[in-house]
Amino acid sequence: MAPDHDALHARCEQALAHVRGIGTEAELAQAGDLVLELRNARQYPEMARLAEAISRRLPGDARNRRLYGQALIEQGLVTAAIDMLKPLARRLPHDHPEHAEAVGLLGRAHKQIFLDAGDKTTDAAREALKQAIAVYRKPFEEDPGKTWHGVNLLALLTRARRLGLKIAPDLEPGEVAARVIQQLDAVPPQRRDEWHLPTLAEASLGLGDWARVEAALKSYVADDKTQAFLIASTLRQFTAVWDIESIDARGRSLADILRARLLQLSQGEVQLTPSMLQQARQQADPPAGQLEAVLGDCGTNTWNWWKTGLERASAVCSVRARLGGRVGTGWLVQAASLGLTPGDERLVMTNHHVVNANGENKGIQPDAAELVFEAIDAGKVYTVKEIVWSSPVERHDCTLLRLNEPLTDMVPLPLAKHLPVLEQQARVYVIGHPGGRDLAFSLQDNELLDHEGPPQGKPQIPGVCRVHYRAPTEGGSSGSPVFNGNLWEVVALHHMGGKLGMPRLNGQPGTYAANEGIALQSIVEAMHSPSGCK
Amino acid sequence: MPHITFIHGIGNKPSETDLHSIWRHALGEGSDPLYLGDLGVTSSFVYWADLLYEKPDDDLSAYEGLLENTQAAIDASGEVAWPVARTPAEAAFLDAMRQRLTSLKDEEIDHALQSQMPTGMEAVGALERVPLPWCLKKPLMAVLLRDAHHYLFDVRFAPPGKPALPIQGTIRQRFVQKLNQPDIVGPHVVVSHSMGTIIAYDCLKRVPGCPAVDGLITLGCPLGLDEVQDQLKPGWSRSEGFPSLRVRDRWFNLFDRLDPVCGFDPELANDYRKAGTNSVIDEAVGNPGAWRHSATKYLRQPAVAQALRTLLQV
Repeated sequence: MAPDHDALHARCEQALAHVRGIGTEAELAQAGDLVLELRNARQYPEMARLAEAISRRLPGDARNRRLYGQALIEQGLVTAAIDMLKPLARRLPHDHPEHAEAVGLLGRAHKQIFLDAGDKTTDAAREALKQAIAVYRKPFEEDPGKTWHGVNLLALLTRARRLGLKIAPDLEPGEVAARVIQQLDAVPPQRRDEWHLPTLAEASLGLGDWARVEAALKSYVADDKTQAFLIASTLRQFTAVWDIESIDARGRSLADILRARLLQLSQGEVQLTPSMLQQARQQADPPAGQLEAVLGDCGTNTWNWWKTGLERASAVCSVRARLGGRVGTGWLVQAASLGLTPGDERLVMTNHHVVNANGENKGIQPDAAELVFEAIDAGKVYTVKEIVWSSPVERHDCTLLRLNEPLTDMVPLPLAKHLPVLEQQARVYVIGHPGGRDLAFSLQDNELLDHEGPPQGKPQIPGVCRVHYRAPTEGGSSGSPVFNGNLWEVVALHHMGGKLGMPRLNGQPGTYAANEGIALQSIVEAMHSPSGCK
Repeated sequence: MPHITFIHGIGNKPSETDLHSIWRHALGEGSDPLYLGDLGVTSSFVYWADLLYEKPDDDLSAYEGLLENTQAAIDASGEVAWPVARTPAEAAFLDAMRQRLTSLKDEEIDHALQSQMPTGMEAVGALERVPLPWCLKKPLMAVLLRDAHHYLFDVRFAPPGKPALPIQGTIRQRFVQKLNQPDIVGPHVVVSHSMGTIIAYDCLKRVPGCPAVDGLITLGCPLGLDEVQDQLKPGWSRSEGFPSLRVRDRWFNLFDRLDPVCGFDPELANDYRKAGTNSVIDEAVGNPGAWRHSATKYLRQPAVAQALRTLLQV
């Protein structure tokens, strides 16, 4: 079940008040538990704030210091985390339960520095890899039951060997893999935790035993109840550390199968660079046997759904300011779907606050805009001929653009006839280029919260039907298409979001964290209404 | 917006909310999936298991899975006593229905139960053709006869801890109420299964004030049985059996010939004519496994998705 971010935020504020004030011991203990909850909900900035406040009251609280370190790593403040975790690991006795956790995180911090390095052969990257291997090695050799450390040691050692680096020359990756598997096999079934199978899959990769990798993956990846973070973690290890996509076609397929399943899960998000997206679209389908081996009977359906999503992403473009960076997202639509003529013309839709005639609301004017369909050709720039129709920010926040060149060889996005039904587990997907990650496409699962469409919706702005949805992480970028969950048809134009304090729809009191889009059908109706905007 | 009103069949069921969700999801799980949520198709559920059973069945997996190892999985959930006839007409109905299901005598069934013997494949009853043990089939027979009898003869019945209510009258009222929901725009289609098909037909054909719908879909429907048709008079006749006044468009009837509930006379076109002309669209499907009557197996059939697309215009 998705965490209630609004409730967590309120509880965090309350806990901060207690910790900074005269909170009792019990209230401090509750605040400590809340740090863990915030981590599980991936609310890292709030996690760090609360951990900092607790550290001032309880500087010796080892668990809190360790979680504070993790919050720093998750926010990219890795060297600060190392400076915090090193003395913590040094001062704790080895049999202290937090010692192994602190050492593991220290290893993760060094690993992150290595992974973040663009050139893996630089001295800094090599030193980080060396440090990470040394940090993971010690606890695993002291206690082979620490398979978390063991499997990370294995992954980094294998990567070092593939890079031709002679780090820890006395260690043989195959032997480390065999020891990890031996330890895992010895754990009685009733004592196996959620990380057992991901660790087994990874260790089997170290032996090159693909059949066992896929069997271990299937046991949790195909499970209806599996959590997105488990698959996200496996995917991150397999691609970033093991680099399985550069091994062979089987590795590439496996990475895409994991991405497909991750996106299918509640709170799933997949980020791809334009070149990765191009490669994934062009890649041949995995053999049915491999799909079933990892995803079970539904493997083919999941794969087809994923491929459709990738195809849809190819009709999504970045909107850039000439001589500047990205300012938003746009997407290709056929004039006939909007009831416009000539019906076969391809137009681009984006937000009014991204492109508008007068450059209002920080938008750019059409003659300053450049559009790039990065999944098709990142080097090809399209320019805008004119604005076909627009509606201001306070209404539909929409601009429809005609380009100077025809876009006949691209497939426009299909529009849904209806908004999705508001039911439990209803979801929508947003494809766009989120702020701050200029090279990434994001395909993001969102929980559909509410909308003002039929049968029960009550639009508060006449002629404007709003849709609210919530993503697990940050909001998508302005102008993105919002798709229904299974058919990949556009239901709304994303225009605002990610913030706490969004007033609820349909006259309901209060606010919540939500993204907001405008229902496509209300935009189409406005285009044909006498009072609609130009 | 397009709308579906579902109605379930015999046996105890999960709660209305759970069953509604299971049925909606099942339509999206076939080889030609129909994603009602994405298509903006709303739905409501005529739920009546609470009138005959003490509390909902909480074994949800039995209604979603493919295993046939529990009473719930074969629509026989709930411990049901054999119905008692109050009149000769009821006795005749129960006797005739029993003969449709099995030619084995009670003691032969008991013997099969005790000895774990094969099920008497040489016999001719519908249940004899089902390769499941009698420990599952016997309670099914009781559930089927009891639920059908109580509806068709409007028995007043009280499950443990609940007040007695007239079964037919109360279910008819619920059906009409669900069809009358003010926010239904249409197209509006009724999807019924098993005993629910009898109820849907009874209301659409015979209940004054029942609203009209655009289409009707019956799944695993026992309306072809003479014993059932006899209980739908006045109202039903072979030449004017189609509920023309309240079904504006088509009636699709989907059946599996190995479904023991409808298998003896699965086709309806000849029995439910419109002005003497065959109008019901009968279509045979093949459900997997030993138990062919399962609602979710029918709902996963591409033919059901196709019929719904046609009627709902999606």
